[in-house]
Amino acid sequence: MSRQSRLQRRIMGPQSALTDFLASHNISATQIRIDADARRRAAENQQDDADEASDAQAPAAPAPATQAASASPTPAGRPRRAAATGSQDEEARKREQKSIEKIKASKKVQKRKRGLESEDEDDLASELLQRSAPLPGQQDNCENCGTRFTVTAYSRNGPDGGLLCTPCSRDLDKDEAAKRKRKKRASGGAVGRRRQLQSNILDGTYALGAKSLMTLCIETLAKNIDLAEDFGDLPAPIIDKIARKLSKHRLLDARTLSLFLQPTTEEVHVYDGAKLSADDFIRIFQTVPGLRKLKVRNGVHFKDQVMDYLLSRHIELEDLYLHGANLISESKWKEYLQHKGGSLRSLRIYFTDKHVGDEVLATLPTTCPSLTRLKISHNQQVTGAGIAALGDVKTLQHLSLDLRNELHSDVYVDLLSKIGANLQTLSLTRVNRADNTVLDAIHTHCRSLVKLRITESEEMTDAGFVRLFKDWANPGLAIVDLQKCRQLDSARPRENPDGIGLCSNGFRALMAHSGKTLQELNVHGCRHIGRAALEDVFKPDGETLYEAMVHLEISFCEEVTDFVVGCVFRSCPNLRELNVFGCMKVKDVRVPRGKILVGVPNARGMVIEGDDDEQ
Amino acid sequence: MSDSEYITLVSSDGFEFVVLREAALVSPTIKGMLRSQFSEAQTGRCTFPEISAIVLEQVVEYFHYWYRNRDKEDVPDMDIPVELCLELLMAANYFNLDAKPAVRDAV
Repeated sequence: MSRQSRLQRRIMGPQSALTDFLASHNISATQIRIDADARRRAAENQQDDADEASDAQAPAAPAPATQAASASPTPAGRPRRAAATGSQDEEARKREQKSIEKIKASKKVQKRKRGLESEDEDDLASELLQRSAPLPGQQDNCENCGTRFTVTAYSRNGPDGGLLCTPCSRDLDKDEAAKRKRKKRASGGAVGRRRQLQSNILDGTYALGAKSLMTLCIETLAKNIDLAEDFGDLPAPIIDKIARKLSKHRLLDARTLSLFLQPTTEEVHVYDGAKLSADDFIRIFQTVPGLRKLKVRNGVHFKDQVMDYLLSRHIELEDLYLHGANLISESKWKEYLQHKGGSLRSLRIYFTDKHVGDEVLATLPTTCPSLTRLKISHNQQVTGAGIAALGDVKTLQHLSLDLRNELHSDVYVDLLSKIGANLQTLSLTRVNRADNTVLDAIHTHCRSLVKLRITESEEMTDAGFVRLFKDWANPGLAIVDLQKCRQLDSARPRENPDGIGLCSNGFRALMAHSGKTLQELNVHGCRHIGRAALEDVFKPDGETLYEAMVHLEISFCEEVTDFVVGCVFRSCPNLRELNVFGCMKVKDVRVPRGKILVGVPNARGMVIEGDDDEQ
Repeated sequence: MSDSEYITLVSSDGFEFVVLREAALVSPTIKGMLRSQFSEAQTGRCTFPEISAIVLEQVVEYFHYWYRNRDKEDVPDMDIPVELCLELLMAANYFNLDAKPAVRDAV
């Protein structure tokens, strides 16, 4: 009543909006201040007392014995009433007794008691009381640096139980975070470990035992690459490994590139140039005058400007590998080949949409007299005319094409008739329309092939493959990839009356011709290879051995069963990895130790022989 | 001495490390030294005048780390001191510890 009338009469000192608001809710700011002052005074008195009697009175003194427990932060559980214990002894002692009881009953103490059995209960409780001294909003001296600061609910306890100021708390947080991180294992728990194992298998990094010391060092180096200033005189293969590792973490930028640019080196491999600018690429040519081999992946900024600089230097590249350098114009490509093509032995161009076309390829026979390796991959521009021109590059030994334009088989037949005899590598990726005539041309002309890849053909037939491999004068192949050469008919997927794709007989013929020399075989998705053919080829008689075989991919071959997988492991003693994705008849197979089976269609994944008793 | 289960590796500054022979055989370099007719094979004592004790200590630690984990899966990585990384890399190259250590060969 009276307050209201006073308000009406407007007799009052200056007051804040908060006071106004509190007043409207019938709360007196003055009363709060008086109470707080009283509490603060009481607290100060108590502290003074404690200082004086620190030696005599055990519970009042910050005993060093309490240090161990004090590291854990307890601000939330701080009892409010504690600070009020002052000169009014009797009541205060009663209250303290009460809160001690309370603390004793609290879960925290129960928990801690279980941990530290020797500690006396009362000591523990009073210690908790002790440390709760100043309330949030009050001032205190930081235990660590001694500065005066305002206590908040988030203030942390120092190692001796006192409170810490904000900067010191932050430091403490940092230390603890580091410690917590340390404790974390590479792969925790049973599930985490299994997941990590499967992940390693898929990455191809699975191995029994520890990593090699070099791998460990390179990983450490890659993690701390910002500390490295110079690689010194490390041998080139190691530098290459470091380069690969850095790219994996996408750490190659203008600064780290300098580490790889030694004036004496002849090779620069940039496995991930996405962060490099045109100037960085120019810097490569500036600092490495004797460059002969250049590999750039994701080299988006390797553009005309860089080519111009390269043209103006005396660098004669022998090996050029450009991936994603889509900003080099067609005219610049031609200019480069005209001026520098003479020394080129290997040219590999990946991911270009417009500027590497028929005209560029047409210049190759005249501009590159010593070109042995050519790879055009993910190209949208090259057509039959460009490929026809390659027939005049008589020096070619390795040819790899992955074109987006579909070419007629005749183009390939013509090409093979001209340069087939010298070819060691023939890779035709995604050739939907290539048919048996290509296979026949390979059979007729190729005599030194080592690696053969024909993928995703929908025209070639089983009979064609039989004709290719039967009595072929070419020595055994080392790498064969015939993935997805199969019949595509969604209406009748099982029937294959015309024998389209690599089927049973073709597979038998292939293994009869090259089985002894094959190191890698990929028949992914060749669905019509029958079980009889597989069991024939990988006969479990102990005599049919494919000792060279290291990597075998038979995913999505329907007829692969547990028995076939077992036969494969027996007949390929040096096999390292077998892929069986989508082979739904593989159910429960034991893998010999040290070998890898990828893609088993169940949750448990690969089961290594001899681990059965752990189940 | 040459048939002993342990061999001695000596660093450039004269520190000696006694190592389990089987563990040290992970390094093809040491393997070559011990299987030859050189004095190392007779005495079981290999001197490395180009490798300091600090680096050799890490290498020896790796030998035993490798030996302990030679048949295990998902082995936790050994900690490599960052400041020694490059020197250790050179040593790893010298000891031929680059490829995947062949588990069966060494045992």
